[in-house]
Amino acid sequence: MKIKLELFGASRDFSKKDHLEFNLKEKSSIKDLRNEILNFIENNFKSNENYKKLVQSSAFCSEENNIVGDDYKITKEQNIGIIPPIGGG
Amino acid sequence: MLHAKVIDATKEKINLTNAQKFIASSKCGASIYFVGTVRDQNNDKKVTGMTYDSHDALVIKSFEEIYKEAETKFKFNNIAVFIEHIKGYVELGETSIIIAVSCKHRSQAYDFSRHIIEEIKKRTPIWKKEHYEGEDSKWLKGNPLIDQNQLK
Repeated sequence: MKIKLELFGASRDFSKKDHLEFNLKEKSSIKDLRNEILNFIENNFKSNENYKKLVQSSAFCSEENNIVGDDYKITKEQNIGIIPPIGGG
Repeated sequence: MLHAKVIDATKEKINLTNAQKFIASSKCGASIYFVGTVRDQNNDKKVTGMTYDSHDALVIKSFEEIYKEAETKFKFNNIAVFIEHIKGYVELGETSIIIAVSCKHRSQAYDFSRHIIEEIKKRTPIWKKEHYEGEDSKWLKGNPLIDQNQLK
């Protein structure tokens, strides 16, 4: 199933577009998505350690605008936001 | 009573007058305005401007949650709160956030306002990219919204 990953904050440096697209197996979880993003970093940014740390320290946001962790099951094609460490105000 | 909005810097600016109008009430004897602006230095580097990024829906949800939690915590009556945060590029000295609070008494207004800005700093999905002289720029480090122990 296709997942459109919406980029925010420092993760915007992962692409010139405002999102990335991943094909995940059915019954995947956020943990699987996180691993796919890490593979993408590995392949496209020569294992950039800062980018990897960013992915590892990010939360995710479901289409229902809830912050979700690694156990969250992705049951349908949807937009998911990556939420790097925040620092506004 | 809460007003919460993300302001797109390409379309409008944060306006103090809007906040004054929203929180005005004869039931309140104290008003506090917290205004965050872009400053010209950080970590010994000369800053020329700031880009704010925002997950708009989550930001509004976060502002509403923080307000409701503060209402429960402090149990003050007749409170009005106006929160706006900018997104996009902001020049030095320009406003990035305003939190206006009116309450019956000054101590209440100070407590409520302080609580809101501290919680926003901890948990509202807004990101800052500093711009420096020489066209260099950098996303600032922030607070993770997940428990890192979960991932080990």
